[in-house]
Amino acid sequence: MTNHWIDIRNSDVILIMGSNAAENHPISFKYVLEAKEKGAKLLSVDPRFTRTSSKADLYAPLRSGTDIAFLGGMIKYIIDNNLYHSDYMQLHTNATFLVDPGFKMPGDLDGLFSGYNADKRSYDKATWAFQRDANGMPKTDPTMQDPNCVLQLLNKHFSRYTVEVVSDITGTPQDKLAEVYKIYGSTGVAGKAATIMYAMGWTQHTVGTQNIRTMAIIQLLLGNIGVAGGGVNALRGESNVQGSTDHCLLFHILPGYLPTPNADLIDLATYIEKSTPKTTDPDSANWWSNRSKYITSLLRAHFDTSLTAADDFGYSLLPKLDPGQNASWLMLFDKMFKGDIKGFFAWGQNPACSGSNANKVRKALTKLDWMVAVNLFDNETASFWKGPDMNPAEIDTEVFFLPIAASFEKEGSITNSGRWAQWRYQAVAPLGNSKHDSVVMNELYYRVAQLYKQEGGAFPDPITKLSWNYGFTGIDGKIDHLDIHAVAKEINGYFLEDKEIKGTLYKKGDLVPSFAFLQDDGSTSSGNWLYCNSYTQNGNMMARRSQKDPSGVGLYPEWSWCWPVNRRILYNRASVNADGVPWDKERPVIWWDGAKWKGDVPDGGWKPLSQAGTKKSFIMLPDGVASIFAAGMKEGPFPEHYEPLECPIEKNPLSGTKNNPVIKLFFDDGGLEEDAFYSCDQRYPYVATTYRVTEHWQTGVMTRNTPWLNEMQPNMFVELSPELAKDKGIKNGEMCVVSSGRGKVDAVAIVTKRFRPFKVQGTTIHQVGLPWCYGWSTPNSGDSANLLTPTIGDGNTMIPETKAFQVNIEKRG
Amino acid sequence: MKRKAFMIDTSLCIACRSCQVACKQWNKLPAEATVNSGSYENPPQLTAYLHNKIEFIETEENGEFKWLFLNKRCLHCSEAGCMKVCPSVGALYRTEDGLVAFNKDKCIGCNYCVNGCPFDVPRYDAQNKIAKCHGCFDRVENGLQPACVKACPTGTLTFGDRDQLIAKAKSGGKQIYGETALSGLGAMYLLDNKPQDYALADNPTIPTSIFLWKDVIKPLGILGFWGAIGVAMLHYVTVGPKQLEENGEEKGGGNHG
Amino acid sequence: MGNYVKRFSAFDRVVHWVLAIAFFVLVTSGLGLFAHTFFSYFDFFGGPEQGILAHKIAGIVFFITSILLFFAHAKDTCSFDSDDSRWFKGFGGYLSKDEPEIPQGKFNAGQKLFALFSIAATVILGITGYIIWDPTSMGRGLTQLSLMLHGLFFIFFIMGAVVHIYLATIGNPGTVDGMLYGQVKKIWAKKHASKWYKEVTDKK
Repeated sequence: MTNHWIDIRNSDVILIMGSNAAENHPISFKYVLEAKEKGAKLLSVDPRFTRTSSKADLYAPLRSGTDIAFLGGMIKYIIDNNLYHSDYMQLHTNATFLVDPGFKMPGDLDGLFSGYNADKRSYDKATWAFQRDANGMPKTDPTMQDPNCVLQLLNKHFSRYTVEVVSDITGTPQDKLAEVYKIYGSTGVAGKAATIMYAMGWTQHTVGTQNIRTMAIIQLLLGNIGVAGGGVNALRGESNVQGSTDHCLLFHILPGYLPTPNADLIDLATYIEKSTPKTTDPDSANWWSNRSKYITSLLRAHFDTSLTAADDFGYSLLPKLDPGQNASWLMLFDKMFKGDIKGFFAWGQNPACSGSNANKVRKALTKLDWMVAVNLFDNETASFWKGPDMNPAEIDTEVFFLPIAASFEKEGSITNSGRWAQWRYQAVAPLGNSKHDSVVMNELYYRVAQLYKQEGGAFPDPITKLSWNYGFTGIDGKIDHLDIHAVAKEINGYFLEDKEIKGTLYKKGDLVPSFAFLQDDGSTSSGNWLYCNSYTQNGNMMARRSQKDPSGVGLYPEWSWCWPVNRRILYNRASVNADGVPWDKERPVIWWDGAKWKGDVPDGGWKPLSQAGTKKSFIMLPDGVASIFAAGMKEGPFPEHYEPLECPIEKNPLSGTKNNPVIKLFFDDGGLEEDAFYSCDQRYPYVATTYRVTEHWQTGVMTRNTPWLNEMQPNMFVELSPELAKDKGIKNGEMCVVSSGRGKVDAVAIVTKRFRPFKVQGTTIHQVGLPWCYGWSTPNSGDSANLLTPTIGDGNTMIPETKAFQVNIEKRG
Repeated sequence: MKRKAFMIDTSLCIACRSCQVACKQWNKLPAEATVNSGSYENPPQLTAYLHNKIEFIETEENGEFKWLFLNKRCLHCSEAGCMKVCPSVGALYRTEDGLVAFNKDKCIGCNYCVNGCPFDVPRYDAQNKIAKCHGCFDRVENGLQPACVKACPTGTLTFGDRDQLIAKAKSGGKQIYGETALSGLGAMYLLDNKPQDYALADNPTIPTSIFLWKDVIKPLGILGFWGAIGVAMLHYVTVGPKQLEENGEEKGGGNHG
Repeated sequence: MGNYVKRFSAFDRVVHWVLAIAFFVLVTSGLGLFAHTFFSYFDFFGGPEQGILAHKIAGIVFFITSILLFFAHAKDTCSFDSDDSRWFKGFGGYLSKDEPEIPQGKFNAGQKLFALFSIAATVILGITGYIIWDPTSMGRGLTQLSLMLHGLFFIFFIMGAVVHIYLATIGNPGTVDGMLYGQVKKIWAKKHASKWYKEVTDKK
């Protein structure tokens, strides 16, 4: 989130789209309802009327996979009706920037932007650039009237998204569209804020990142970024997945969102050179220009400090990607399916149920030589060979199960969606033989390191040269009691030698106060520069529990700690005008008192924009302003509606480009049968989506084993409209079979008016929905909806498109 | 001791069912085997092991779909049908705070309370003892909130001084269900829709048969029984018995042999 | 022979007294269920569960014996004539010492009425008793109604029983002999059931 949970109560309008927050983030609804009590309007946009919709002032249905069309219509509405916050846009965004005249858009190129290479399925982005002057500064039109300026290009692009066209794509009635646009668009004035709460309903599409982008554009048009009650707010799907992404347990990033090096970046200097954005704008802080400090400090934390600059501090020991290699989730299981992966740690996960195209995943597991399942309970992955359609006699995988402790059985931090890292204590000891994850990792590290030391190997150094200072090391070289605080402190970072900075002397072994003090000369370490400031000489900031809120807008600056440097609302220097006066007088986030900023930790302490020596407000971007035009996206600098890979209509109503032109196709005249997809196929005529229920969590490994929860939602179901039920002769409560091109699953029919048919392109499109929390390992539970979902991912992130695909449904005989 | 009560504001309820689970956890109630028969609502009824549950009601109003949620549980009535009909002294009793609690040791398993309650709340467990929401009187007596109230994330369930809860609801312009019904419910609702939409009676009362039994038949019956004895005794000492003459002659007229 | 005439057979007497004992067990145990006030009556049975069991068993016994009794006397209780309507008009002669006796059959009009009431009440109490045997088995509306009717007819029955006991013992000396020994004094028969006495003696 750019903002945080409690801030939601400051909103005047709350849009919940691509999320069913009441269902899956029920605690957040405390704040949503508080906002409502104060007069806020709640909008729920969802293919299905949900528990969230039940509390909404307005519910609008939309067909799964058409969010860009819906939001594109809103952009058009905002611009047509002059509802955007001009001052905000001129000051804080690139709306005024002039774009290369060679840049062409889908309206001209039948769904494509300029520079598309059909063979490579990618874009040459040369024309996606700003016109720059001799000094490299972008040329601008402050009046935002020039036809080549970002705002006017945006206007031209979304002028195609009329209410009629949008309604025809989304199936949303035109009057509902108009109402949503009107209510949301009313927050473009200073003093009014709207927030968006979204989740996997937006991200798990082939256009997932562009869904978010469209909303980001809307929020920037309306001046809703950086203000209280605004922001772009992702509701994370796990209590600590924010933590896990911050520490970058993904193939393409290192802790603190540093890019993972590929093999072409042969040394640290090359890495730094290639990964550090540059700007010629003296007023742009271009904060990523500090890349060298963060990567160096990371290396100093990872590897033995005896390595020196001459060793590149151990850079050569970091694992590298092959250039262009995509090692995302879908690719991983594809490789595993083809037999290219020998061993697999299924650590705290259940891919046999959570992985898209679960049948392919389950078959992939049979190709492994070995697997280590680390989990609280037995599950469909750990016991994959016992699953339906499995013949253990043909499976050679050696499987180990390590029982692990639950979150409340260990001490440590959890980082929530609002970036708040909250320290927690061990409430009860782990049961039986289950251990803390850190204990298992410690044990593994020790034994692998020992094996390397004794037997050598192809390349021992990345393990043997790791620094592992998490407790008292015994005479055998092993740490018997891992101190989680030592890990937290290493993440924060230390001074590795005495260092004087701005007149203050920091001693070797002192904790670094914040990332502003990190160095690129190897004198500091930090396991994650974003968390530098979380555990300092003043103590464990994450363990604080003060309920003081001097700001009055729910910042609670001394309750735990958030990154970066406890700044609760990101981009908060956009919440003020050029003189540092807040747009919103009632709910200011920061304000300039003449000498310094008061309120939240300012997003850079520089003077207001009207004064000399200032820096622009969006410090993480090279141009210093927010990107309405974003050339970093693979599909285009502006979002464009493309249909989901499996979709029910022949043609994309907006253009001749039916699907996202840059997605990696697993099946396209070749490829595995398992990856086949079916569009406009009579065998699979209905749109399907997946979702969660309040009572279960993820694939249900914990919750199916909690009787009080299982009793409330005992088995797999499918929700469908009375109209579809009638067509198929299905009665409420009857067992059905839902099938797709990849598999089938039994499900009890819940026939409900919460699903209505959509009128799209003059035809009736039916949609059904299924939860994915069930698995065969629980008796009478059913199995996972992911047996149905396709092998296709988002164009930028490869997140699987599990929210829109095609199925059939029949009564089970 | 001032009366305490629950206030249940359905406009804040998101049917997360923390209330269902928190109650089970606190009271150590076992889970039951259930099957999805076409609804999120499970278990389908209150049971001896499910003291409060959410009812999911799909309805329509002015052409707009509405999904209503109602937390169903014992409403701790001031005039409690269950207490009225219970034969066993102390099996159902009122706590100092005004909650209707029960003592399984005193329960005789007659199952009458099931029929006496206007809201069909009491249930019997495997040992044939009464089970229902008891307002977590054990927690309340120790200054804690009932488990369901503590768990509710949105403030749908609140608990405290009854008069204060009523005043707060009224100052918010809300309509209270149960303020005076049955001499005042110990768990009141603030409803989104009309009571009928929630299958609640507009004006809930003790079931007529039960009322007749306890408030009419019982007092009149006791009167009638002692009255009959009184009349018989009165008759004996006034009109007197029909004596037989010892020598075979009858008193008064009458036929001979 | 001599001064007595046979009135009730051994069968009649046994059934009646089993019925009477069952009635008292029903009353004592039922009162425990009827109201709080009488909860302590369960102590006679050793506790409420035992009391409820006794009530159920006695109920079955009562039901069976009451029906047996009714059919045993049905021919004498189910026909009414003009003497019976005169009896009703004169309140059976119970309102004054000097009222002349109206000729009656084996059972007077009042007794016949009581017999009819008894069988009706037996059936109603039996059916409602069956319904509330397991109070969760038959639906709330029906069970609530049954609880009420069961209590109502219990009241009617106990009041009727008070009158029956009074009139069958001290209220009409010589009556109880019939049910205890099976025979009544001839003078009793001539007074209280003259038409029956004539029938019985004529037969000889």
